[in-house]
This record gives sequence, structure tokens and C-alpha cells, in this order.
Amino acid sequence: MNDEPTGDELTDAVQALRAVALRGAVAARMEADSEQRLLQSIVDATLRLFDAEAASIALFEPDPDRLEFRVAAGPQGAGAIGKSVKPSQGIAGFVFSTGQALALSDVASDPRFDRSTAERTGYLPRSLAAVPLVDEGGAHGVLQVLDKRSSPTFSLRDMELLAVFATQAATAIAAARVQRDLPTLLRSAIGAVANGSLSSPQIDALATAAADLDRQAELPFWTLVDHVSSVRNLGERELSLLADILSVVAIHGARAPRRR
Amino acid sequence: MPPPDDDLPAWSGPFVDAGASPGSLARSAGLQSIDRDWAWGRATGKRVRVAIIDSGVEGSHPKVRGRLVESVAVQLSADGDPEVVPDEPQDLFGHGTACAGIILGLAPEAEIVSVRVLGADLKGKGAAFARGLEWAIERGVQVANLSLSSKSEAMYPVFHELADDAYFHNVALVSAANNVPVQSYPSLFSSVLSVAAHGEPDPWRFYYNPRPPVEFGAWGVDVPIAWKDGTETAATGNSFAAPHIAGLVALILSKHPGLTPFEVKAILAAVADNAAGSDARRTPAIS
Repeated sequence: MNDEPTGDELTDAVQALRAVALRGAVAARMEADSEQRLLQSIVDATLRLFDAEAASIALFEPDPDRLEFRVAAGPQGAGAIGKSVKPSQGIAGFVFSTGQALALSDVASDPRFDRSTAERTGYLPRSLAAVPLVDEGGAHGVLQVLDKRSSPTFSLRDMELLAVFATQAATAIAAARVQRDLPTLLRSAIGAVANGSLSSPQIDALATAAADLDRQAELPFWTLVDHVSSVRNLGERELSLLADILSVVAIHGARAPRRR
Repeated sequence: MPPPDDDLPAWSGPFVDAGASPGSLARSAGLQSIDRDWAWGRATGKRVRVAIIDSGVEGSHPKVRGRLVESVAVQLSADGDPEVVPDEPQDLFGHGTACAGIILGLAPEAEIVSVRVLGADLKGKGAAFARGLEWAIERGVQVANLSLSSKSEAMYPVFHELADDAYFHNVALVSAANNVPVQSYPSLFSSVLSVAAHGEPDPWRFYYNPRPPVEFGAWGVDVPIAWKDGTETAATGNSFAAPHIAGLVALILSKHPGLTPFEVKAILAAVADNAAGSDARRTPAIS
């Protein structure tokens, strides 16, 4: 009993797999550059709304941890794209780390203000506002606006509006990232189900097979069955375990519309 | 001079008309005798220790006035557990120094204890933040200023317990409210003084919100602040509003030692700028 998953564990793991496959199927319908286009439209709209010199979005990327400027808009924004800063650095880093929105004015009057970052992006702002991109899953990055033309400072209303844009961006990013994180999620779900009885290459093979199918197939559960059954190098015991999993998957899958 | 409408928090309007407000404590008979002079007149924050749980505090900054008495940092041990170690009087971002400057602007003789939980690529921010807060409570500070929050569901019970712990140890937790609509802790807990920003350029002006979870509004727009490397700038955000309330709490506690966080809140509500009673905001004598 000790190396067999319990009924509850099996149900949990199958639910996790089901959720991942469903989300993957949604993500697969989004085109590869949809995240980028969405982010771009958000900074474009932000720039217009604030009549600012530049707007940008930096997203958190691991290994090494950094905030990478993914999109920018405005005459002074282009220089930022592709540049990275440490999450422990500058206004963007602070806003990302604390989840607290903030704005600074008179930035240029402070000669030492975050100059290295500003110089790398090719533009030294006089004022800036930054809000975190957060959802229930945590912080994804930071939305920044540089130099509002109509005013040297940002009002509370500006900050609230910016937060609305940031919420949009965070939601879009979270959806797009499911696709990217799919193999990792699947790997841990399958690992949990197998409870140590599958080797990691086997788990990887399963995860890769399952992740692939989401890009190709409308019907993830039934394709999952095919892919799993084509994994040849499983032992008798593992196959029996998988049969159990798949029978539960099939029950869940039967609730979804499927090809006849 | 009335501020532009867009620089007032949405909830401050109704409460200015205190007659229509459910926050009736300030109108009750006993509290009418409380004014700002009683609350903190001639107080300086002396003998009150305020923890700033943030990015560190630059001890040499002119606006810190030499009032930084202790600096610690939370770092991860070899096992990955957060531990508190002595720290240099430094600030990695400038934000903690800004908070210290605002607090000392109101309570010039308060003692500042810096608990650095940000920077140096610290992983597990929620756990580090919790450990820093726990340390401050154990250390016996009377006020803790928190400009960060955790969104992690897993941290909810941890912060809930710490907020209760603080309350029972008479530590007033002053936390910046989040203006992004996600659950965040501990600013949403009832024992915490949760603060949002208003735009009137007056460090002494604050509002009581009768419809929590955000309970107070203080100056947080274009606030002149101390920043990294001895510099100064101007900044906007709830995290600059919170230290204004922390400073007022330090003043109240230096004049009335031993008050509970609940009593402090009641006094603040009674002397808020939108409390009923035209003399609530009689300017106190400042020594």
C-alpha cells in the first residue's frame, strides 16, 4: 500500500491533470505571439491615455531572476525593450518585490537616481509611475509610465487607472503562461500520481507527450489516452497504474464534448 | 485650499459629512473632549520605537536625524529558513529611508528600528516578511510600519497569527493598503491600521474611513521624501501614506504609553479631519 497512490491522491492528481489539459487547450488556441500583442496593446493604450513619453511592461523571468522589459511604447520607450534589471534594483524592482504601486517626480533632479538602469534604457525620465502586475497567483511584473506630458506628477486617479490596466495585463499574462508552464505542471502531476514508481525519464516522456497534444488536438483527454498508450518502455506495474488513471480521466473526459 | 477631486480617496467624501456616517464613535459624548492637543500636544515620539519593515534605512541620511537605533535583515539560512541577522544601516532601494523620514517628520524623537526584508534577491519574500514582523513584535517595538504585503494564500494564517500576536503585545501595525484589487495580507486584517493615500499636501491631515478594510487616509501624493544615497525626491503611493499614520501613532503612544491598538484607533478616529465636531482638529502645540 505504501507505494500505491491512495484513492484521494489519485483523484487529486487526475483533477490536476484535467485542469492542466483544459487550460493547455485554451492556451493552445492563442497564437504564439498573442501575449506579446496583448502586452503591446496595453502599453499603447497606457501611453495614449496618459499622454506620456513612454510606457513599458517588464516581466519576471527566472534563472537568473530578472525583470525583462518585454514591450514599450512612445518616442522614448524603444530603448528599454529587451533590457533586464534585477528584481532587487530600482523602482521596477521595488514595485515588483512589494506589490506596492508608486510614482516619483523630480527624478532627474536626483543625479544618482537609478541612473545605471535609466542609462541602459537610453532615457532619463523626470517622473515615473509604476504598478505591479499581480493576480491571485502572485506578481508577474511591472507596468511603468514615464513623463506624463500634461503634469509633472501623477495623481491618485492616474494610479488607479494604471492599476486597472495592470490588472488586464496580469490576467492576459497568466493565461498565456499556462502554455509555457504546461510541461512542468504535467510533470509534477504525473509524478504525484506515480508516487515514485515511475522513473523521471518516463515522467518526462509522459509530460512531453501530454504537452504536445495540447497544441495539436481539440480533444486533449482522448488524445492523452493514445499518447500514453504509445509510451512503450513502461513496465507492467506502471501500465496498470496508468490504466487506473486513464479510467478516471475517461470518466472526467466523458463529461466534455467529444468526437463520436 | 480644497484639493482637486481626483486627489481624494473615493470614500473620503461621504465621511466629510459626518452626520451621515456610520462611524459614530467620534460623535459619542465621551470622545468629544478628545482633540489633537490632548492626543499628542507637545509629544515628540520620545521613548517610542518604530520598526520599519522594508528595504532598510540609511542611517546617515539627514532626514533620519540620527534616530536609527538598530538595523537587522532577514536572510535565508543554509536550510532555506528565514533568519534575522544584524545589518548595516543601509537601504537598497530608498523606500525604507523615505518611510523613516516621514515618521520622524511628525515624531522627531521616535526611535527607528530597521528590519530589512527586501533586496539582495531574497527568495521566499512572504516567509522573510513574516519572520521580520515576528522579530519586531518579539523585540518589543510599539509601532511597526509595513509597506509590503503578501498575496499568498499559504501566508494567510501566518500573518493572521502575527497580527493577533502584535495586537496582544500592544504593537500597532500600520500597513499600506493595496490599490490593486487582490487580497493581500496583513493589510486586510481588522487589528491592522490600513492606510490609503489622499492628495492634500499636509502631513497632519488624515481621514478616518468608516467603511473598512482601509481605515485611514493620509498624505500620499507628491510627498517630499528622503531617498537612497542621501538624496531627496517626491513620491506618490499608499506606501507613503502609511508612515504618516505611523508617525501620529508614535506621537500618541509617547504621550499616552501603554494604549492598545484599539484605543489608538479610537483616538485617531476622534481627531480625524473628517470627524464630527468642528474643534476636532485644533492644532496642538508642538514642542
